[in-house]
Amino acid sequence: MNQFQAVLQARDLLRTHGRGESLVHAVDGVDLDVPAGQMLAVMGPSGCGKSTLLHLLGGLERPSDGEVWLDGRRIDDLSERALAQLRRRSVGFVFQAFHLVEELSAAENVELPVLLAGRSLRTARRRADELLAQVGLDDRARHLPWQLSGGQRQRVAIARAMANEPLVLLADEPTGNLDTAATLDVLRLFEDLRAAGQTLVIVTHDERVAATADRLVSMRDGRLVDDTWMADRRQPVDGVHGWEG
Amino acid sequence: MGRFLLVFRLVWSDVRRHPGQAAMLLLSLSVATGMLALGGSLGGATEALYRHTRAVTAGPDVVAVSPDNSAATARTQDALTSDPAVTAHSGPYLQYYSKLKAKGSTSHVVVTAADAEPGAVDHPLVTSGTWVRSGGVVVERGFANALGVRVGDRITVAGRSLPVIGTAVSAATTVYPFAQLTGPDGGPSDYSGLVWMTKQDTKPLAAKHLSVSSLLYLKLRDPDATQAFVSAHRGPTVYANFQSWQFMIGQDATIIEGSQPILVIGSWLLSFLAIAGVATLAAGRAAKQTRRVGLLKAVGATPGLIGAVLLTEYVTLALLADALGLTAARFTQPAVVNPTASLLTTTAGPSTGTIILTTVVALAVAILTTLGPTMRALRTETVAALSDTARQPDHRSRLTRVSAMLPVPVLLGLRLIARRPGRAFLQACSITATVITITALLIIFVQRQVSYGIDSPHLGNLKDAQSRHMIVVVAAALVVLAGVNTLTTTWTTALEARHTMAVARTLGATPGQVTAGLSAAQLLPTVPGALVGIPLGIAFVWPFSAAGTVYPPAWWLFSAALATVVITAALTALPARIAARRSVAQTLSAEIT
Amino acid sequence: MQDVVLAMLAKEPSHGYHLREWLRRALGPLGESMNAGQIYVTLARLERAGLVVREQTEGPPDRKVYALTPAGQQRVTTWLTEVSWPKQDLAELHLKLAAARAARLADPVELVAAHRRELLRRLRQAQRALLAEPEGSVAGLLLEGVALRLQADLRWLRACEQFWSRVENKAEDE
Repeated sequence: MNQFQAVLQARDLLRTHGRGESLVHAVDGVDLDVPAGQMLAVMGPSGCGKSTLLHLLGGLERPSDGEVWLDGRRIDDLSERALAQLRRRSVGFVFQAFHLVEELSAAENVELPVLLAGRSLRTARRRADELLAQVGLDDRARHLPWQLSGGQRQRVAIARAMANEPLVLLADEPTGNLDTAATLDVLRLFEDLRAAGQTLVIVTHDERVAATADRLVSMRDGRLVDDTWMADRRQPVDGVHGWEG
Repeated sequence: MGRFLLVFRLVWSDVRRHPGQAAMLLLSLSVATGMLALGGSLGGATEALYRHTRAVTAGPDVVAVSPDNSAATARTQDALTSDPAVTAHSGPYLQYYSKLKAKGSTSHVVVTAADAEPGAVDHPLVTSGTWVRSGGVVVERGFANALGVRVGDRITVAGRSLPVIGTAVSAATTVYPFAQLTGPDGGPSDYSGLVWMTKQDTKPLAAKHLSVSSLLYLKLRDPDATQAFVSAHRGPTVYANFQSWQFMIGQDATIIEGSQPILVIGSWLLSFLAIAGVATLAAGRAAKQTRRVGLLKAVGATPGLIGAVLLTEYVTLALLADALGLTAARFTQPAVVNPTASLLTTTAGPSTGTIILTTVVALAVAILTTLGPTMRALRTETVAALSDTARQPDHRSRLTRVSAMLPVPVLLGLRLIARRPGRAFLQACSITATVITITALLIIFVQRQVSYGIDSPHLGNLKDAQSRHMIVVVAAALVVLAGVNTLTTTWTTALEARHTMAVARTLGATPGQVTAGLSAAQLLPTVPGALVGIPLGIAFVWPFSAAGTVYPPAWWLFSAALATVVITAALTALPARIAARRSVAQTLSAEIT
Repeated sequence: MQDVVLAMLAKEPSHGYHLREWLRRALGPLGESMNAGQIYVTLARLERAGLVVREQTEGPPDRKVYALTPAGQQRVTTWLTEVSWPKQDLAELHLKLAAARAARLADPVELVAAHRRELLRRLRQAQRALLAEPEGSVAGLLLEGVALRLQADLRWLRACEQFWSRVENKAEDE
């Protein structure tokens, strides 16, 4: 696949809630191309429609108008069932509130999408062990979500999102409920994924999270208002001045 | 004071927000208490009616039935009437055993030769038309009802066609079809009705050499001393059988004896269903309200308040339902306790004992349904505190482990059950209760019915018909309630599992898989529940079944159980489908706030 | 810099080479731009000021061992107890934006955007460097501070952007 071919595309995307007086344009005419392997951050004030955009891109919500293309396939007009199957194999979601299934252990949470994809339990077990080791939680596999810290839970959620090796990983405020140290853990994971060529779309209001991305788009009132591609030159770090004195 | 006001306000807003739940509790509990009240009042009901009829018609204390009109009978009767314990008497009246034809039905009949003016004892109460006169027949009311004859119709008695000139009720005989106090010639008695004719009109019967008995109605100085009186007149020279008024009450009551266990057991099963259904609703609601606890704490309330609100609401509703049930029982009682219409109907309400019983049951239901959620609400803080400490990390139930090897929907369903085993158990028990009733219904319906008439299908068996009506009513109530329960349980489970299901959807579960999972969560306990219901149903009928009880073929029972499972599947699919259709994004974002 | 070198010599006399290595470790990626000879220049200055003495005069400069004088000791104590906080001069940018708007020289929103891009670039570097640091490194702590400051500045820029675009919109409406 060409490095700059868009794996995820939005064309004139529109999503409204309510009707009449209370009609809200959550997403209002968004055009976006996400090249394969890019780490894209979407920033904006709360209520600007960034979460809705993410849901539209992952087929969790349907647009009122416009198109969404994933890997060259139009997905906004798919049936609910086809969308589910698409999510199973091609999309991984990570949420602010982790959204682990509370009554399943960390390993079982990771197994779930593998089982849903119709693989055997043995495969699912192996995949879960592998992924939990990757996120550094192999010793917590049997723990229930409430026995894990926020950062650990989010790492389990990321492992779960990666279970079926999705084309894109969509993260909605993945560090919103985490402290600095846990945020760094999650960002390190994302960095590893990025290095492995994973396409990532991260919705965040945290500048520090956004700054790690290759590209930063800003949203306001449902529209994209800024699109910054950040150069990735190896440069000395600025920021401490006058220490030579 | 402010606390009470707060509780009251919360109760009121709760009822207004969940009118469906309140209505369901009210309805199911009304039906249950109504049935219980009815079943409870059946015990003394016949006695009350008989006592009333006896008082109105100056019923005898003892009826002496002599098998013929021989000299020996006359001697016995003289001895009886001259006993100082006897204060008054009527008769002797001759009673002929014959057959009667009316409206295409043939029945055994006893024809009593009556005085145009009744004697000192037994003044049959004419309920329509007139009392006997020459060329006309008065038909005992229960018999007339069974035959479907009214004043003006013609009936054939012993081959002679006569017009019906009246219907009457008497306490000197047992209710239809037990009009023969003894059988013909002292032998076994047949199901039979009673008619009255003038002495003159019975002459042709005498000429036909029909079996006859002679009845003497006695009033005693002490009406309660019938047993002593009868014992005093026992011996080889006494040429009579005695029927005391107390004996007649017992005999009359047999007509409804099948109804009482049906109603009482039915009401227990219904109460259970009410508990199962409403407990599920209450639990679902308490779970929702746990989120409000934090808010309430800000105004000085504790999690216990949630329990207090639920309890207050349910106790109020339960008492209301109790009142409704008792009222309903009071109005339906006459139709249930007097199926033959051979006795006069009184308007005796439920006894104090019955009222206490139903109230206790209603309150118990209210308390049992709120107990679980209340305890949970009270424990919330402790649980939260506990969850911070590290616990045994290897917490993985066997059910969950096994479920991983099953198809995904069943896996989801099993994991939902594992989450709320109590609810799965209640669901299984609801189905068991339903299948018990259906099994009982099938057993009752396959019994051979002995008609009261002679080759006359229209003259059915009132006693069996009464039992059948009762079991049909009970079964209908149970089936409807179990259906509603299944719907609400699925809905509650769907609401509670909303988050899990939404997460499963983000991971690529299809709406179909989610629906199937929710359905499976209800269906899995249904199957064992239905299977257990069959033997339990047979066991419930066992104590009340006479020798020679016929059992329906096993495949009938299994088909009924299977039908229950299939209907449950259909019922669960609907709310599960609606729940599965919900927007995933909305569900998940709602969870955050 | 002088104070830091003095403080490091307070524990025990040390080679200039050791001092440089320690500084590199503590500063992490931020110390990469540090000139190798800088430490010796600083030591020479301190020696002239009578705050340190050379204990061994023979051998190459690397082998020289420096120790604190009582005056140096005094200076270290003073340095440790004094509270100083570098001032961030926001007033300059603030006035630049206000002036640009008042004199209609430039669109303040554009200026903010340019600054924002620059700060984002710096934040990106800091974040990247931070992520590359192993857990629990001293240098990571400094990078964390840098990132937090840049984040605060970016948030202020966001407020600036909102303010000036509102002013701009109002002006258009009038």
